[in-house]
Amino acid sequence: MVNDGTPDVEVVARVLGGDGEAFGILIRRYEPGLLRFATRMLGNPDAAADAVAESLVRAYRHLAQCRDPARLRSWLYRITGNRCRSHLARRHTTDIPLSEAPATALADGTDAWAALERREQVALVERALVALPAEKREAFVLKHVEGMSYEEMAAVTGARIPTLKMRVHRAREALLEALEEAYDESN
Amino acid sequence: MSPIDPRLQEALDGERDPGTLPADLRDAYERLTGAARLLAGTPRLSVAARVMAEIRQTTRSEPAENTLRRALRWLGRPRAVTVRLRPVWTLALAAGLTAILLLPFQVGSLPTPGEAEGVAQFVGHFPGARSVEVVGSFNDWSRGMLHLNDDDGDGIWHGAAVLPAGQHEYMFVVDGERWVPDPLAGRYVDDGFGAGHQNSLLIVRPTATER
Repeated sequence: MVNDGTPDVEVVARVLGGDGEAFGILIRRYEPGLLRFATRMLGNPDAAADAVAESLVRAYRHLAQCRDPARLRSWLYRITGNRCRSHLARRHTTDIPLSEAPATALADGTDAWAALERREQVALVERALVALPAEKREAFVLKHVEGMSYEEMAAVTGARIPTLKMRVHRAREALLEALEEAYDESN
Repeated sequence: MSPIDPRLQEALDGERDPGTLPADLRDAYERLTGAARLLAGTPRLSVAARVMAEIRQTTRSEPAENTLRRALRWLGRPRAVTVRLRPVWTLALAAGLTAILLLPFQVGSLPTPGEAEGVAQFVGHFPGARSVEVVGSFNDWSRGMLHLNDDDGDGIWHGAAVLPAGQHEYMFVVDGERWVPDPLAGRYVDDGFGAGHQNSLLIVRPTATER
């Protein structure tokens, strides 16, 4: 997260006061996380980029509707999550699963062999993740990749905390099983 | 899919020290947290330039219409009022509204709506509120443009505006911070941000069809 010391509330006030360029501060601050979240949700970096771009434009246009600018991050993730769900609902069959997408989509290590090994590991985990139902995938990513509390996840998804805990628990079980199967096959 | 040990779930939820887990559960813990770390790679993509270009385009094509021009348009017109009443609250508000309708400033003091415009009156019961305003799709959800009044301090806040004919979403903002839907709206629509919040829905009919 980019943090130039200016609280979100102040940046939002500047944008609403007519300084549209200040929205760039918010983009720099939240774009990496939103792209990571959307990429994990959609399994396709291009579709994720579209979803995040559309979400940020929508957020700009409706910024005055953000009821609590101090929780801007949750609001942006909520909009992006909605875009992802819409995308998944009308998903094109031509979408490329992330595991088949160009490997440059994610940052890799400096050592070529280590990078290859890491990419294989990433692909394995991505396959397990993408096999989860969207709600469980979202819950796991928000909790363990984006590092959110259950309270913030509730603000993002609109789901109740016990429901989210159950989704995260089920996602862990499914992922662990898939990872152990893959581990057993490789040995 | 088999359930995993509750102690592992607790450790993953940060409610238990992972160091206290037995060896097999600690392996599973490492496997899951390791998977999460692998998924945390930062994408090399950026949509910043694309988003800012679209924002600048939006700003150029809608210069200041959202604030100054609309405010002047609203303030500069003579006024007349029509009232929308819904069954809920009707009895409680009837006496107050009757008095409101008889106030001279409202009759003939609203802008004369154009053919593709209509008049909407907003009424809300907010006892003890210090301010109430209306934000909606017709003013880009901007605050400070449509304030309701409660001149006699009875908790019934009211105001009117000429709006383009058609469907508008709106909310009341009470005391500058509390967003509440209009209990009299009768129609509501999901606000599209996924947390189950609903905006009030208003349909403005063109004045031309009422004449």
